[in-house]
Amino acid sequence: MPEQTATRVLTCIQCGKCTGGCPESGKTPFNVRMLMRKTQFKSNIEESLPWYCTSCGACTIRCPRDVKPSEVVIELRSKLVEDGEIPVTIQKALENTFVQKNPWGRSRNKRADWLRKLDFEVPHVSETESKRLLFVCCIQAYDPRCMVIPVNVARLLKTGGIEFGVLGEEEACCGNEIRRIGESGLFEELQEENLGTFTEYGVQEIIALSPHCMNALKKEYGDTGIEVVHYTEVLAKMVEGGALKFPGSFEKKVVYHDPCFLGKQSGIFDEPRSILKAVPGLELLEFSRARETSLCCEGGGGRMFFEVESVYQRNAEVRVIDAGKRGAQVIAAACPFCVMTLEDPATEKGLIVKELSEILMEVI
Amino acid sequence: MNILVFTKRVAATQEEELRIRDEGASVDLSKVPFKINDWDNYSIEEAVRIVEKTGGTVTAISIGDAESDEVLRRAIAMGAKDGFLVNSESVFHDPGVRSRLIQNFIQKENIPFDVIFTGVQSEDDQFGCVGGILGAVLGLPYSSMVIGIDAVEKDHMIIRRELEGGLQERIKITVPCVLSIQSGINEPRYVSIMGIRKASKVERKVFKAADYAAEAGPGIEVVQWAYPEKKGVATMLTGELDVVCGQLLGILKEKGVFQ
Repeated sequence: MPEQTATRVLTCIQCGKCTGGCPESGKTPFNVRMLMRKTQFKSNIEESLPWYCTSCGACTIRCPRDVKPSEVVIELRSKLVEDGEIPVTIQKALENTFVQKNPWGRSRNKRADWLRKLDFEVPHVSETESKRLLFVCCIQAYDPRCMVIPVNVARLLKTGGIEFGVLGEEEACCGNEIRRIGESGLFEELQEENLGTFTEYGVQEIIALSPHCMNALKKEYGDTGIEVVHYTEVLAKMVEGGALKFPGSFEKKVVYHDPCFLGKQSGIFDEPRSILKAVPGLELLEFSRARETSLCCEGGGGRMFFEVESVYQRNAEVRVIDAGKRGAQVIAAACPFCVMTLEDPATEKGLIVKELSEILMEVI
Repeated sequence: MNILVFTKRVAATQEEELRIRDEGASVDLSKVPFKINDWDNYSIEEAVRIVEKTGGTVTAISIGDAESDEVLRRAIAMGAKDGFLVNSESVFHDPGVRSRLIQNFIQKENIPFDVIFTGVQSEDDQFGCVGGILGAVLGLPYSSMVIGIDAVEKDHMIIRRELEGGLQERIKITVPCVLSIQSGINEPRYVSIMGIRKASKVERKVFKAADYAAEAGPGIEVVQWAYPEKKGVATMLTGELDVVCGQLLGILKEKGVFQ
């Protein structure tokens, strides 16, 4: 463990604020305060435990001593990665990312396939005047459920008159989850490759479709000089300025789920809400845990790629039950991870999950 | 126990739509990523596990172009002590030529070994017989489809082989010998990028394949690459979801799959 992290852990006063905000502690064998204690004493930590963490960041935000427990978990995972002792599905995701630059191992040559669903051409970012890049993300480039999101956002940006380009096959995984899995070497390779591409084409601004990509590109790629925003920030401005109008109406009760990397980790709470409020007919509801205290869907930090050992009620189900109690018909999210994890329990309980752009496409 | 493991860098073609070019003369691999041959990954893991228990060394050997150094670094990161690259820009499709080249290399360089591991097959050529031919030309006992190594002694090993019909065969094989390792024999460890970077500091010895070329030329040469003949048995259903579902149900009923 790096000296800086080890020193930080020694300042932990075991106040328990981390465990109090953790979406896994209390219902699974994972206890973040216990992990900090064991790390302080260099005690043995059972190998399966670090993999429960969803990297939601609540512990780090709540910690009064700036111990950054979620970063300590990454270090614990790092040791397991270096020893090669990691769950097989995580291993596969890492090896796939090494070979094909995406965790699913889908062909890199098919990364731009979503563009075929558009009825207009999107230029390569190098051919744009603004050098504004739409960074698509692995899930949205390949997953059949989420491929519609870049298509929607591209249409919305075009409607609002925003010029943008893409990298197509040249885009590599941002590495946000890879770093959180503890594979710092692979993260560095992805970062180096993407930064090299951004520099080659003179990228000035990045509109990230996924909050996870936004987090990595904005906070973990170092001082790049490139402005990185989430697409909801751009759309909110377009709506406010009148560039994006919604002539249709969406007569449903919608509850907005704050994705961890967009909300509590980046402070973007109002933009998605202001967009939804501008939709005629839409009644916006709030979860009992909203904004900073939003309950993590358990899709991040590598949890998308494997199942933990213990059986317990998933947060996505808790979220869907809460949505139902509040009278929501639709759960809206602005993150592909959240859409994927919420959709199964929502379908079971007769609720609909929509990525924010899907609602907008029904009203433009 | 000293184990030589042959490891090959192959194109990762599973997700690719491969294009044949130059009227069948070659396959366009310019945009295809490469990786370690899956069977060789299991072979290295098995060899490393054996020496971790019994002592000795693992030496990874790759026959290929300069890029094949990548799989040697990976093998060293997994626990191999040395990596040898038998460098050639030519591709040896003929497993006989490949096996004799290996024979010449081992004998001329006087490389000590107790056991040689090859993968059952390589993902690119899929002849699945380098191990067998190598055993024959070296005059050593050989076993294919090895799915378990139960005992490692100085003069013999007890191994398990995969047979048809769900059977396994436990055999005793004299050392030195050649074994072809089946995938699934173990769960290969994850090799981190940091581990590969550290392994890069270990010197890999490079040899020229031309110095060990087989006396006889290839008995097998690629004449032409071709796509499988289209048989037209797949039916694509298109249209609205309820229409497609209706069509699908109709087909399933017609075929007797669904009543």
